[in-house]
Amino acid sequence: MTRVHGRAVIALLAGTVLVACTGGPAGPPPTAPSGGAVVTAQGVAFDRTQLAVPAGRSFPLLFENRDGAPHNVRIYDDAGAQPLFVGEVFGGPSSRTYEVPAIPAGTHRFRCDVHPEMSGTVVAGSG
Amino acid sequence: MATIHTAKLVEPRLTTIVARASVVALTLATATIHASLGGMLFLMTAAGYTTLALAMVLPGPLGRLRWLIRLALIGFTAATIGGWVIFGARFSLAYLDKAIEVALIAAVTFELWHSDGGPMQLARRVRVLARGLARTLLARA
Repeated sequence: MTRVHGRAVIALLAGTVLVACTGGPAGPPPTAPSGGAVVTAQGVAFDRTQLAVPAGRSFPLLFENRDGAPHNVRIYDDAGAQPLFVGEVFGGPSSRTYEVPAIPAGTHRFRCDVHPEMSGTVVAGSG
Repeated sequence: MATIHTAKLVEPRLTTIVARASVVALTLATATIHASLGGMLFLMTAAGYTTLALAMVLPGPLGRLRWLIRLALIGFTAATIGGWVIFGARFSLAYLDKAIEVALIAAVTFELWHSDGGPMQLARRVRVLARGLARTLLARA
């Protein structure tokens, strides 16, 4: 492989990274569905580190993925042993409204399964 | 008779080219998938695959160590699959990528066998390399 070919390969991969990380246009965060919550992923990061959700009843969670990279939302208890909810992984730019089953009141965690460094706190009971 | 000679000359060359092209294509395919996922870990994995793909085809002194690069590629791919089995998220692109990585290990193993001989031959090369390194280190100490 010549030096030109090597540079072409690196340029292709750099372009792929750029598309994956930038994704769709930046804009105002979407409005939360009635009685639910909203979270956005962009630049391999969530737009918030705390989610306020209702406790003891199911609720809609609007997840907007503005990246080209795939993301999802998983809610789990602090021990991390048992997931309370696992949302579908999908590539962006796109959005899904997850129907999250009832979760107990208290503080839990949420994260992206593909990128565990994307994480935050879920406060159930305040929604 | 001439036909037989031609076939003997062409077949190994073609096999080598196809095997090498398959290895490089599969390596770049999984590198592209990892790069498309974003995040530091995936970008580092993509960089690792790209480096190994380039090392598989660059001429010069690397050519003599190609067998070692093949072993490194097998090890790196196996570690990536293992990491996904233990920690990875399950989604369609991940399954596709793992299929590519399994095919990559098969292709590299084939090339390794075809170009470098069997496991005994490889073990001998590793032994020679280790002995050479040990001698160099001892000479410097």
